[in-house]
Amino acid sequence: MLALRIDGLVKRYGDFTAVDGISFDVPEGEFFGLLGPNGAGKTTTINSIVGLSKITAGSIELFGLDVTTDWRAARRLVGLSPQEYNFDRYLSIRDILIYQAGYYGLHGKAVRKRADELLERFGLTSKAKQLYTRLSGGMKRRLTIARALMYAPKLLILDEPTAGVDVELRLELWSFLRELNREGTTIILTTHYLEEAEELCSRIGIIEAGKLVALETTRKLIGERTLQDVFLELTRR
Amino acid sequence: MMIKTADRTPNFIGFQTLVKREMVRTFAIINQVIWPPVIQTLLYVFVFGLALGSKIPTVQGVKYSQFLIPGLIMLQVIDQTYGEGSSTVFQGRFMNSIQELLIAPLSAFEMVMGYVVAGTARALFIASLITMLGAVFVQTLPVQWGIYLLTIVLVAVLFSSLGIICGLFAEKFDHIALLTTFFITPLVFVGGVFTSTQFLPPLARTISMFNPMFYMINAFRYSYTLHGDAPLALSLGVVTTLTVVAFGTALVLVSIGFKLRT
Repeated sequence: MLALRIDGLVKRYGDFTAVDGISFDVPEGEFFGLLGPNGAGKTTTINSIVGLSKITAGSIELFGLDVTTDWRAARRLVGLSPQEYNFDRYLSIRDILIYQAGYYGLHGKAVRKRADELLERFGLTSKAKQLYTRLSGGMKRRLTIARALMYAPKLLILDEPTAGVDVELRLELWSFLRELNREGTTIILTTHYLEEAEELCSRIGIIEAGKLVALETTRKLIGERTLQDVFLELTRR
Repeated sequence: MMIKTADRTPNFIGFQTLVKREMVRTFAIINQVIWPPVIQTLLYVFVFGLALGSKIPTVQGVKYSQFLIPGLIMLQVIDQTYGEGSSTVFQGRFMNSIQELLIAPLSAFEMVMGYVVAGTARALFIASLITMLGAVFVQTLPVQWGIYLLTIVLVAVLFSSLGIICGLFAEKFDHIALLTTFFITPLVFVGGVFTSTQFLPPLARTISMFNPMFYMINAFRYSYTLHGDAPLALSLGVVTTLTVVAFGTALVLVSIGFKLRT
């Protein structure tokens, strides 16, 4: 089954076309990398998938559900770890997780247990009662992923999950994401660290100026070269 | 990992969670939103009601200090519900935390209702505190509890909705204050919080009829005094109409994702 199907996605802001007719599929269980220089249209594409952007033309399906017409069911299947922190400043770390599950229609003991498990798994248990403003950058990054996992989405979208985190945490997150993918969660990753995409993703799509300029398995895309060489060749303006 | 997904629609738990979150926010900023209206009311009661009011003959058949209480409740209900709707939406947009709701399986109706119900709960809480102050300090209580509750709920929904609308349009905090400073506060003050329109010159009395706040205060005061400067049905009719229009506008704006979804 396809986790994601994007067909002819167009997103315009006035006269500016941010995404220009992108089409690609992500099969269930895949670890997919979406790469591109700044302003290429990666975040706009992600925002269109999760409902933060209104689609100008084309369609997006999540596990066969159209994100515009079947939005309620589709949104229950996808989790987003955004590039910029957008936590609720009035809630404790633990409550951020519990309330997020609540917005998805989940409550009760199972949710509290899940929150405690995720806090433990991401090393945030000792900070559970604090506000997010007291966390370090790396901890905030971990919290964005924990929050996205609260309702056990089948597809996890990570928009630059390792931006600004140190090497140790980055390796830790890589290992966690691999494990999550092995457990069956489909993952879409955007990153500026090309070695990260090379290390984690089985297939890569490269966006440049709103168009998809490459879509291939990581091995085929790179061939005898490095991902950096391929990336620069495809995205040089 | 096994959590049973709630597959029923509408998302009632999501709505409840939003109401709860807004209440957490209200009590997290209790020194800004609960105590100031209570202290302010106490000061109005002592300075205007008891000190100056003792020189004023009865108004609508009751002592001036007793006449004042319902007006002061409306003043705070209007102020606090507008504040709740506008600041939570604007802050959510400004800090991007509203995205937590926008990516969730919550409809525009559930979102708007969440904010409005939380605003109404805040209004009822503040109103009940001031009502108790009125009972203790000036020995007055509502006579018509049905009208008392109905008016608070209608006005709270109206100003929560107006708050949401302004929270969506605002580009900076200053824009939120614009409406309070130049529209809400002046209209409430001349709308009969402190005086009956009977005390006004004929021209000012006629102008008052075009002030929507006059009808809110008039309907609410009726629940205390059983008197009004305008017929109760007219007052409730005006308030209900404005409430429906404001709620509908807020709902349409959130539905189209105005300044929420790019």
